[in-house]
Amino acid sequence: MERDPNVIVIGEDVGAQGGVFGATRGLQKKFGSQRVVDTPISESAITGMGVGLALEGFRPVLEIMFVDFIGVCLDQVYNAIAKNHYMSGGRIRMPIVIKTAGGCIGSGAQHSQCLWGLFAHLPGLKVVAPSNPYDAKGLLASAVESDDPVIYIEHKGLLLKRAEDFTFGREVPAERYTVPIGEAKIVRDGRDLTLITLSGTVAPAVLAAEAVAKSGIDVEVLDLRSVVPLDMVTVIESVRKTGRVLVVDEDYLSYGLSGEVITRLVEAGVALKSVKRLAVPDVPIPGAVTLERAVVPNADSIEATILEMVDKR
Amino acid sequence: MVGFLTKEDALCSTHRNHLHAIAKGVDMRAMLAEIFEKSTGLCGGYGGHMHLFDSDLKFSATGIVGAGVPVALGHAYGARLKQNNAVAVAVVGDGAVNTGAFHEAMNMAGAMKLPLIVLVENNEWAISVPFSAASATETIAERAPSWAAHGVRVDGLDVEQVVDAFSNAVQRGRAGQGPSIIEAMCYRFRGHFEGDADLYRSTEEKERRRAADPIERIKATLIERSLATAAELDGIELSISNSMAEMLASVRSDPSPDAADARRYVFVD
Repeated sequence: MERDPNVIVIGEDVGAQGGVFGATRGLQKKFGSQRVVDTPISESAITGMGVGLALEGFRPVLEIMFVDFIGVCLDQVYNAIAKNHYMSGGRIRMPIVIKTAGGCIGSGAQHSQCLWGLFAHLPGLKVVAPSNPYDAKGLLASAVESDDPVIYIEHKGLLLKRAEDFTFGREVPAERYTVPIGEAKIVRDGRDLTLITLSGTVAPAVLAAEAVAKSGIDVEVLDLRSVVPLDMVTVIESVRKTGRVLVVDEDYLSYGLSGEVITRLVEAGVALKSVKRLAVPDVPIPGAVTLERAVVPNADSIEATILEMVDKR
Repeated sequence: MVGFLTKEDALCSTHRNHLHAIAKGVDMRAMLAEIFEKSTGLCGGYGGHMHLFDSDLKFSATGIVGAGVPVALGHAYGARLKQNNAVAVAVVGDGAVNTGAFHEAMNMAGAMKLPLIVLVENNEWAISVPFSAASATETIAERAPSWAAHGVRVDGLDVEQVVDAFSNAVQRGRAGQGPSIIEAMCYRFRGHFEGDADLYRSTEEKERRRAADPIERIKATLIERSLATAAELDGIELSISNSMAEMLASVRSDPSPDAADARRYVFVD
């Protein structure tokens, strides 16, 4: 925002409160209420305003508090923001970031979804979901800089975590830097199996990988960082090495990211010894934590799945 | 709109947008070529007639009923940020006023006192459902106070009434007096789409309403006030009709977009 006066932040509770997770804390004080705008609960107006402001040459960052709420304004997201560049034959641009929060923290069916698979299905949207503080800052800077619309999904569980409690990516430089959108990161090297995931399930995946290492199973953990573009170069290279692939996805199982990654591997002709998907098994996210744990991937269920896939006895 | 809107004023139109594009000064040949989805079109044939974009003139259209009002709201806020005294106009039909997006955008425009002008073409029919059955209020104009907006209903087929109302709304917007709603009463002379059997309206009603054709009315007024003769008006009509026929013939022979380019423009980067 310092570098580019055209960056405008608009959303519910982003100003005086600084966001319900504190993600925009202090911004309104620093940049004023014209550039950091508190709005009524009017998501269609917020997203439509973003379109108009983009047409005026601004770079709007629109905050939709929870990704679940995008249902009420999906029209502007997929009929305007995603398509206007295409429908204009490349003559107009939609440099809009929709910053929103997803993921399970025991909040039930309407406050716990990830939905990146939904946005990825709609042509014209880049979809980013960071797993750690370093990437969160660098990917957000790239998203704001991008001339394409970006759906930037922060994980609520990560937003509530202290930086020092992260096991990776916890050092965040004060100065500005970018992390390119569309490049996966190998979080842990391994030879036996490629575990592909992103966002809030990267940390439990690493925990599970460390647990199975005691049984001599060497898991490579790959953080996709973005769903669109999908970095198949890194995925293919890793799976060629290990021959086994497990996709762990906190989003719904069917018609989603896990099926897409595996299909692309098959289409690329990568030899696969073992393939599995661990994702929310096509049920709404339950309210009770006992039920949530039963359907949302966690370190224990990831570990169990790896053990099913690699027999080192 | 002609004469009141400048290049800096935005206009967000609907699925039935060609007349608004002309009023905003969009190049007619490029528009016609887009209607025919030619590579020479305003959007290279990627948009089609419902999705016209001219960023230089701040003209855009949407095929989604009511969706242009929040976009115009963004333009209006852009005008405030730029302090360029511009206004933003959204044209909608009477069907759009019952959408949530319309209410959200009007409320925000009122709360922020933005220079938003919503011109409602109330043709009394949302495809087959009459406005009288779809609206809780008798008029749209009377809803305006609930958004701290100025509301007026005019005979939309009377050029002078529309000009006065529009001029007033633009002045209010430029003077920082907040949003306006102009409810212009009109009539859809044909079905909603090509092939619409239009059985929901009686032939008697359609014939009676057609008698109020605004072009015939303004022609009669011009003649009555001795501003033009019937022969002059006929001459103008003939000459425009001829030049349009030429343009149409020329556009028809333009190339269609290359199939190899179908996947271009999904992303910039």
